[in-house]
Amino acid sequence: MKKIILILVGVLLSAFAGYADRVSDGSDIKNARHHMVQTTIKDRGISDPRVLAAMQAVPRHRFVPHNLLTAAYADQPLPIGEGQTISQPYVVALMTEILGLTRNQRVLEIGTGSGYQAAVLAEVVNPVYTIEIKKKLYDRASKTLKLLGYDNVNIRHSDGYFGWPEAAPFDAIMITAAIDHIPPPLLKQLKDGGRLTLPLGNPFSYQNLVLVTKKGDDLIVKQITGVLFVPMTGHALKKPTP
Amino acid sequence: MIFSAVFLIGFSTLAFEVLLARIFSISQWNHLSFMVIAIALFGFAASGTFLSIFNLRRGDRRPHSVSNLQATTIWVALYTSTTLLAFVAVNNLPLDYFRLPVEPIQSLYVLAAFVVLALPFFFSGGMVAFAYTRMPENTGLIYFATMCGSACGAVFPALLLPFFSEGQLVVVFALTPLLVVPVSFVHLPGIRRAGTRQQSPQIRWTIFCCFIICAALFLVSPYGQRLIEVQPSPYKTLSQVLQFPETRIKQTFNTIRGRTDRVSSPYIRFAPGLSLRYMESLAPQAAIFKDGDNQLVLHPPDVRQSVQFATYTLPYSGYALHPGAQNALVILQNGGSAMACVLAAGIHDITLVAENPVSAEIISRHYGREVVSRPPRSFLSRIGKQFDIIQVENWGTSIPGSAALNQDHLYTSDAFYQYLKHLTPDGLIIVSRRLLLPPADSLRLWAAAYEGLKKTAAKNPANHLAILRNWDTFVLLISKQPLRNTARLKAFATVRNFDMVFLAGMLSDQVNRFNQFDAPYHFIEINRLAAAYREGTENAYFRSYLLDVRPQSDNRPFPGRYLKWSKVKSLYRTLGSRLYALLMSGEIVVMVVFIEALLISGLLLFLPLFFVRRRIQKPSRAQVLYFFGVGAGFMFVELFFIKKYILLFGDPVISFSVVVAGVLIFSSLGGAWAQKKEKSVLKTALFILLGTLLMTYVALDPLVELLLHNAPIWQYTGALLVLGPIGFLMGLPFTIGMRDMLSTAAQRAYAWSANGCASVLASIASAQIALMFGIGFILGCAIVAYGVVMFSWQQMNKT
Repeated sequence: MKKIILILVGVLLSAFAGYADRVSDGSDIKNARHHMVQTTIKDRGISDPRVLAAMQAVPRHRFVPHNLLTAAYADQPLPIGEGQTISQPYVVALMTEILGLTRNQRVLEIGTGSGYQAAVLAEVVNPVYTIEIKKKLYDRASKTLKLLGYDNVNIRHSDGYFGWPEAAPFDAIMITAAIDHIPPPLLKQLKDGGRLTLPLGNPFSYQNLVLVTKKGDDLIVKQITGVLFVPMTGHALKKPTP
Repeated sequence: MIFSAVFLIGFSTLAFEVLLARIFSISQWNHLSFMVIAIALFGFAASGTFLSIFNLRRGDRRPHSVSNLQATTIWVALYTSTTLLAFVAVNNLPLDYFRLPVEPIQSLYVLAAFVVLALPFFFSGGMVAFAYTRMPENTGLIYFATMCGSACGAVFPALLLPFFSEGQLVVVFALTPLLVVPVSFVHLPGIRRAGTRQQSPQIRWTIFCCFIICAALFLVSPYGQRLIEVQPSPYKTLSQVLQFPETRIKQTFNTIRGRTDRVSSPYIRFAPGLSLRYMESLAPQAAIFKDGDNQLVLHPPDVRQSVQFATYTLPYSGYALHPGAQNALVILQNGGSAMACVLAAGIHDITLVAENPVSAEIISRHYGREVVSRPPRSFLSRIGKQFDIIQVENWGTSIPGSAALNQDHLYTSDAFYQYLKHLTPDGLIIVSRRLLLPPADSLRLWAAAYEGLKKTAAKNPANHLAILRNWDTFVLLISKQPLRNTARLKAFATVRNFDMVFLAGMLSDQVNRFNQFDAPYHFIEINRLAAAYREGTENAYFRSYLLDVRPQSDNRPFPGRYLKWSKVKSLYRTLGSRLYALLMSGEIVVMVVFIEALLISGLLLFLPLFFVRRRIQKPSRAQVLYFFGVGAGFMFVELFFIKKYILLFGDPVISFSVVVAGVLIFSSLGGAWAQKKEKSVLKTALFILLGTLLMTYVALDPLVELLLHNAPIWQYTGALLVLGPIGFLMGLPFTIGMRDMLSTAAQRAYAWSANGCASVLASIASAQIALMFGIGFILGCAIVAYGVVMFSWQQMNKT
């Protein structure tokens, strides 16, 4: 009987240890992250070493629900509850890279969500300001970011439409919430030469990015289509078959 | 008692199906609802398979061990209990379509949803099949009772939804078949001999029924309310908005057209197509949501300042081009920025059309203006008034790609032709939509407008069209006369940072200036299309383009459908070789469901044949073909009319209720009439039916066009009159076939199964056929199916 109890305790302990290894940054997790950075980010054209280092450093699995841990480092968006998603790693890296950030720049993120994007930004710049209007998400993201020691992330529970006037102007603004227009107050809080980016499209199938650059009174908008669009957009340049 | 039972069970089942469609349209997305309901309906066919195997195993000559009354009580009790169980289970299942590829347990949930939802249909079908097998001589009357009951079931939810929630109605309708239980108890001989062994099973089942009633009472009580409350999908806009602080649902209205929620929030600001040059903050807006999505915002009505932002939006370009506009027609499906535009333009003579009566009432009260609550196309058919501006606003669902199966008659070439006829000589049509990449919607709408202009005999339709865009929105302007003052349009675009996409004679240096793509994709494609139209090679263009962007007509009105089956492989690659991303397309789901349905049908139809004892007569090939054809033909006809009448009634649910109730009532009369007729009457009936269907194929479009000009009462009357003879004739083949062409209970059960499988397959196939070939093609399939019925009938008579 004692043997059986000992075996059971042993099995339970190893299961807990395995689980703990999964949720902490064990070697398997590090390998999965390394693989993600190499195959889904670097190989697809992200070259900024600071962005690559940030993607390698941030434990993405800590931002996804426990039941989706196994998919944390797959290159796909994941539902995180409340009808929200954590963007696919490639989109996170691309959005960070196109802002062309340097270490001491000030960045504002609208729509904290899981907090993953804020953590990636915090690896690249200092400080990061992030706003989340949904209380549950705000609470969860605050907790995770604090736990992971991202002290340079300032998080606020409020309406991102009006930005963060006290901390403005910003070198870059990233909107990760679904929007139908770019809030005018955010454009006002963008520095001259500053950049603003946001994703377009369906988070579950494909997304492209919008990059707004402020130059004096002019605002230039560029669509960054990403590698996924090559086969389709390439069609526009071909001749029709009669 | 069996007749009452099949009537009530038919009534309850169809009401459950209607409510299930309603519930899924709130809690899920269109194609997931389609998938689950379509597969669940196989429960009907499975009941036939079960009874067929049961009868084949026991042989037909052995006496029945269970009396009709007892069996009826058992079927009814099982139906009611599983209906309640299925509804509560599906309503509370943590099924998340978007987690399917990443969370293995979700596949289990989908399977569970299929299985539990199939159960009530299984027991309902079982009751009816049982009646046919036990009382073949009364086939006509059973058919009459079932169809009448089903017809009532199609109508009653519409009548009661304004007063009860969807969940409460499911519970109430699920209980109705239990009305026969006390009757069966009174009729049971054993009741007069209390304590005998004969009555004990009946008493046990009666106690079980009492238990079901108690469970139902719990569900409708405040304690059980949570289990039957239908919540919108968390991905829908309403669920998202409700997470904002100080955001509340002020009112909820339930009707058969959908659930409408009026929401107040200090955080809703909707302004698609807003220029980056606009530097003020927008005022908060109230909003209404249909089925948890399709947001329609309401601007503060008395503050002119609150709509000034609209002068910086893309649709306002139409008003800028026609500053002298005196009146406007605004067709509001969702969105609400059209209202801001027309108010900002200072136009006083505004005709507002909002199809949904509840939305119309809310908009009317909010703005203090009269709002026409009619299908827009029907409204336009009935008025002669001409407008300086017609603005059509419908942004579709909040998740792009989820509306591929939706039928919409606002953006067809026929619709544009109708709008053009209602324009003053200098009038303009304004349509704004989301900008898609690769170009899709913009190409299709441009082509549909072009086709509409061609019908008005415009010399060079391209000269009447202009497209502007920003980074995520485009606006299409269509003028009755060739566009003049184009300099004004170009200036508006330049000042607001908008890019020109199409304007006859414009140069490539005017495009892609403010909102830059790697290449001016939209400009390139629309100009290629324009060139193709000039050269008469537009069909070659549509064939070669990556997506299906052909202009839609009233016969093929699916503006959200772009998939080309020949290009699926490159689409798959484009979506990162992720299968689930591909499954976002509703059409792919239809195909997946059809393949699943084929496999299940195969299983249900071949399974009984393995259990056949040698001495039992198997159903012949002609018999199977006959009932398969009857099931498919019936469903094809129903779906053809449901899809055709959407143009007339504006709403798919109203069309469904009218057609299903009409067809079922008339076919029940046909079944009752056939009760006392010889089988020889069928040959003539089939000839007349085929002739009538052919006539319908030719004459229905002009008839619908004619009905559009009439008052709703005449529209309903006309629609039902068309259904009358067809429904009546369609009631004959099943009744006569079941009574005269089959000799054993096993054959009858098998025929029921074949009929059920064909119905489900035809309903799924209809969705695909309409998307690919148009609605008319569905009637062609019905004609072929009834041709097969006639052929197999002749084969059976020969043998």
